[in-house]
Amino acid sequence: MIDLAFRNITRQRSRTFLTILGIVIGIAAIVALGSIAAGIDDTVQKSLELVAGRIIVVESDENTEGLGALLLGMNSELTDEHVNSISIVAGVKDTVPMVMHFKSFEGFFSSSEQIVGMEPDKTEYFKGEKIGIYEGRDMEEGDSGVALIGKTIAEVYNLEPGDYYEVGDTDFEIIGIIEKTGSTDIDMGVIVPIEDLQEALDIDTYQMIYVIPDDITATELVAEDIEDEVDDVATITGTEITRQASEMVGAISFFTIGIGAVAAFVGGLGVMNTMIMAVIERRREIGVMKAIGATNNKVLIQFLTESAMISMIGGGVGCALGVFASLGITTVAMGMITTVATWPLLFFAFIFALSLGIVGGIYPAWKAAKLDPVDALRYE
Amino acid sequence: MTYVIETRGVRKIYNPGKTSEVIALDNINLKIKSGDMVAIMGASGSGKTTLLDVIGCLLKPSSGKVFIDGVETEKLDEDGLAEVRGKKIGFVFQQYNLVHSFTAMENVAFAIRLLGKPKDEAEKKAKNLLELVGLGKRIDHRPSELSGGEQQRVAIARALANNPKIILGDELTGNLDMKTSKIILQLIKELNRKHGYTVIVVTHDPKVGNVCNKIIKIQDGKIIGGEK
Repeated sequence: MIDLAFRNITRQRSRTFLTILGIVIGIAAIVALGSIAAGIDDTVQKSLELVAGRIIVVESDENTEGLGALLLGMNSELTDEHVNSISIVAGVKDTVPMVMHFKSFEGFFSSSEQIVGMEPDKTEYFKGEKIGIYEGRDMEEGDSGVALIGKTIAEVYNLEPGDYYEVGDTDFEIIGIIEKTGSTDIDMGVIVPIEDLQEALDIDTYQMIYVIPDDITATELVAEDIEDEVDDVATITGTEITRQASEMVGAISFFTIGIGAVAAFVGGLGVMNTMIMAVIERRREIGVMKAIGATNNKVLIQFLTESAMISMIGGGVGCALGVFASLGITTVAMGMITTVATWPLLFFAFIFALSLGIVGGIYPAWKAAKLDPVDALRYE
Repeated sequence: MTYVIETRGVRKIYNPGKTSEVIALDNINLKIKSGDMVAIMGASGSGKTTLLDVIGCLLKPSSGKVFIDGVETEKLDEDGLAEVRGKKIGFVFQQYNLVHSFTAMENVAFAIRLLGKPKDEAEKKAKNLLELVGLGKRIDHRPSELSGGEQQRVAIARALANNPKIILGDELTGNLDMKTSKIILQLIKELNRKHGYTVIVVTHDPKVGNVCNKIIKIQDGKIIGGEK
């Protein structure tokens, strides 16, 4: 049955090739776009791990909260007074004032490097305690005019310890390269002493304050106390950011995979068109099949096998091409866009392709099965 | 005495009750013994092809009974009729109805494989059948590389794929020249005589009737006589 189906679909090679191509494009789109969405999810999850159990404090805004407040908080002008007030709230273990600056990077894809100013002996609160130094050393108390850079930045600019990194008119000597984390915040980030960055940017305020609670399980309570006891500040906890980020990533995934699904659906219509043509062209053959003794079910299964085979070939090649495309995207983007072609994604894409072939083939196969043998045999 | 084909009072009416109603077969009673070679002859539109379709279980009669090798086909559903066709009947058509992209052997093997036989077995049997019809050296040729007579031989080999008791031929020499027709008729006659196939051919060509041992004449859907 299988080799017979293959023999039949290769009778009209050009038409079968174009039909398969339609499925290939659709499935490759699902896999490539899906792997980008999965890459975004992966990056977000790794970034979220960095804020787990932490409280981020920004200036309050009446109309926004959560991620929106965090983004608006980039314009916050927090002072030492805020830092001191937060420090004395019960349950607060440590406070880490921060200054953020973004420097655009124009490569094949537009991106930006995140420059973070923080106290030199507290870098583990930003890069994560488990993340080590790939090359060189970490910053220490009293360091000045120095920088820690992410692994991707080091690779893109071919930098190593001893080189210099420029912010505004100030050059920072690179003393260490942070090992790869998978989080673009770190991999595309640069950490410099906060006072140096304030001086380079000519500011004396902070954009946010990381608050480390004594008890990680009491994060939400400590955040509420900070909002109650310190004027004009808003807090965002890792839990809230995670929830909102998951919703956002879910929407991105749905949208990107949806685009691919529409493309693949069009490919499915191609399968239906090809099979309808095949049934018309092979009418007499169907008549012969029935005259020989083939039952309606046998004819139905024969044509369904052929449409399923077209979609399986398209699905398989589409998955391979999609993986290849996603690897290509990562390479061309020099690691700034990560893509993750997971097995569940490939399985979904392949099953989707198979379903398209079966659904697209049902109507033509049913038409073939229901053909009257006498009419079919004498079809001109 | 049991007959391999028997019809009792068979009527076939197309578009019954409509202004376009046509009585294609009217009260057909036939008894054909195993090993007979019968020609059903009549003018165009006489109902001979409809009768062949009814005998071949491709068409159900409007009334009457049809027995094929003792099986009453009237009570069978579509799958049951397909089973009778698959086990007892081989068809040969005027237009050959071969798959053009398949070789001679693939055309015959295709029919065998439809009956559920594995590829190797189907190809072996197809080769034997093509040798039987004198095409042993042309098994790898496609229909476009074969003459009309050779294509009809492939069609005959395909009709034998299911080891049928009955071979039904519909104007099987209609597309062939006189010389080739003679060769095909000799082959059919040989299959009937040497291998015991019951052969029924529908034709308007008297030369086909001459090689048969029985002729049934049909006109306006009715049997008007028989010869031999």
